[in-house]
Amino acid sequence: MFVHDLFKLSFHNLLLHKIRSFLTSLGIIFGVGSVISMLAISEGAKRQALSQIEALGIDKIIVYSKPVPQVGKDVSDSSTQSFLESYGLLRKDLGHIKDMDNVATVTTLRNTRKKILRGTKQLDVILVSTSTTFLQDSGSDITNGRWLSPADEAHSAAVCVIGRNVKRKLFFLGEAVLGGRVKVGNAVFKVVGIMENNLGTQFPELNSPNDMIVIPESTSNAFFGFSSFQSEGRRRFQTTYVEADLFIVKVRELEYIDDTARRIVSFLEKSHSRDKDWGVTVPLDLLKQREQTQNIFTIVMSSIAGISLIVGGVGIMNIMLANVYERRKEIGTRRALGAKKKDILFQFLIETVFLTTLGGMLGIVLGIGISEVVTKYAAWPTIYSVWSIAISLFIACFVGIVFGTYPAWKAAQQNPIDVLRSE
Amino acid sequence: MGGAPEETIVKFEDIKKSYMIGAQEVPVLKGVSLSVEKGEFVGIMGVSGSGKSTMLNILGLLDVPTGGRYILNGRLVENLSDDELAELRNISIGFIFQSFNLFPHLSVEQNIEVPMVYGEIPSRKRREIAKSLAERVGLGHRLKHKPSELSGGECQRIAIARALGNNPAFLLADEPTGNLDEKTSHEILELFHELHARNQMTLVMVTHNILLEKDFDRVIYLRDGRLSSKDEFRGSGG
Ligand SMILES: Nc1ncnc2c1ncn2[C@@H]1O[C@H](COP(=O)(O)OP(=O)(O)OP(=O)(O)O)[C@@H](O)[C@H]1O
Ligand SMILES: [Mg+2]
Repeated sequence: MFVHDLFKLSFHNLLLHKIRSFLTSLGIIFGVGSVISMLAISEGAKRQALSQIEALGIDKIIVYSKPVPQVGKDVSDSSTQSFLESYGLLRKDLGHIKDMDNVATVTTLRNTRKKILRGTKQLDVILVSTSTTFLQDSGSDITNGRWLSPADEAHSAAVCVIGRNVKRKLFFLGEAVLGGRVKVGNAVFKVVGIMENNLGTQFPELNSPNDMIVIPESTSNAFFGFSSFQSEGRRRFQTTYVEADLFIVKVRELEYIDDTARRIVSFLEKSHSRDKDWGVTVPLDLLKQREQTQNIFTIVMSSIAGISLIVGGVGIMNIMLANVYERRKEIGTRRALGAKKKDILFQFLIETVFLTTLGGMLGIVLGIGISEVVTKYAAWPTIYSVWSIAISLFIACFVGIVFGTYPAWKAAQQNPIDVLRSE
Repeated sequence: MGGAPEETIVKFEDIKKSYMIGAQEVPVLKGVSLSVEKGEFVGIMGVSGSGKSTMLNILGLLDVPTGGRYILNGRLVENLSDDELAELRNISIGFIFQSFNLFPHLSVEQNIEVPMVYGEIPSRKRREIAKSLAERVGLGHRLKHKPSELSGGECQRIAIARALGNNPAFLLADEPTGNLDEKTSHEILELFHELHARNQMTLVMVTHNILLEKDFDRVIYLRDGRLSSKDEFRGSGG
């Protein structure tokens, strides 16, 4: 039998029962769909993690303040309850770190912990003070207006730059933002610029730069000092005292970054011996960890996809076995008319492989659809490659061969005479 | 028969066939010896259960005997591989069934082409042959129809056309008119006669119909798994 006749025959049989063929291959459709979307999501997550970490710069060490539970000191008197909470990085720590060998620059950031209100509603926005290097070191850009200048710093100017999300939360649609005013308690800051961070940068214990209102350090010191005062209820006061919330330490030689991080840690361990009110992360290490987590995720997802492919394959095998039984008269007649065992074997095997491959193609469409939906509604980036499509088709084909062989063999083993007698 | 030297196509030497039913061996053919010469039109008759179909299936290489020797065109069948048997069924034998066994999803044309597909005849040639065969059985105008759109007699004609695709040396038919009325049966038989006369085709046909006896060059009577004489057959058949 010519190969093209064999293919035509198998294809013809498949099209005879379109709905049944479709239902039969559902398992494969979903299996391949999940393979494609899994690969797309994990590849997207990987790229995103990479770009986030690369945005911060692999040549950085992040040192941050961490609140310690129950560190508050009771300073109540007879009429009111007052607590003083003090923790975190100190200005003298900054001096030490700056003087270390491999350290190039340090950008500091302090959260003023002031409530930002719109009317009476508290907004999920933080007011921070920082130096002029922050914009670049956080991987952010100015979209409108300007960034804080050394002159602002020198004159303790009452100006601020607001993040992309802050603009939306604090101003009405169409209201002029640049030159607009942000009121914090009695202080009023003029908006001089809008900044945007598209890399998904998130600092430990702090928000994304998109949710920040940034003012110069000198301005912050002049207006607010180092303590933030919060009242809870009528007769309960809480004061928090934190000198610095974040140091972005840039190293000179990337090669020694782990060594520098270790020295920072051992220095902080000594100087903050009472409480561990600080943390250190190295994006480069995070990158390595991320890769490991990613691998675990990929293994788990592949197992799930694998199981659904096996279930789909067994389903197809089941249907094909029923199919062979149902068509035993056709098989017997073909054998009587001169079909060899291998002609029957290949007819059924190719039919199964066609079924799984077509299912695989639909699965690819489904997988791409899922990825697009995930990207659109969950805002997860997804990336699918020619490679992942090729591997999915290969898997679908392979499933067809594995689960189609037994039914096809069974069909070929049919004795023509038994089959013809069964009328 | 004509004056040409006779050539033996089929030779049965003490062919036996038995089935195992549970642990019990049930003999169906109990030693049949016969030969069929080229160009003969042979009828096989016998009561139901006498083993006619069993014998025809062995003749057509659809079944294998449990004893004896079967020589087809000078080749000992028991020595042939499964693929060789399939090839012989394809090229040398045309098989016609009582219930036609057409493929319901294929058109008349495609049905006739099936044995030629297994015989690796290129598709254009196949279509030509299928068309001429359909015309020959008087159904050239039905090429694109499905079997379900044809009458029983027409279906059997198509089945005969299908059996002729690879120009086989002999045709086997198991009660080919068993499902047809008298008039249609007669037409089918006419077709067999024509094939026999025009193409010197060798034909072996199983039938119950005693009226057909005169149509055959020779009749083989089977009784309880053995060859029997016409008189004996008459005696037992009632
Ligand atoms: N696969 C089988 N297993 C067991 N017994 C069988 C088998 N095939 C045939 N037989 C038996 O062999 C005997 C002969 O069967 P066969 O079909 O050859 O009869 P037949 O002469 O063609 O009858 P009919 O005229 O009814 O078609 C019957 O008794 C039948 O029951
Ligand atoms: Mg019979």
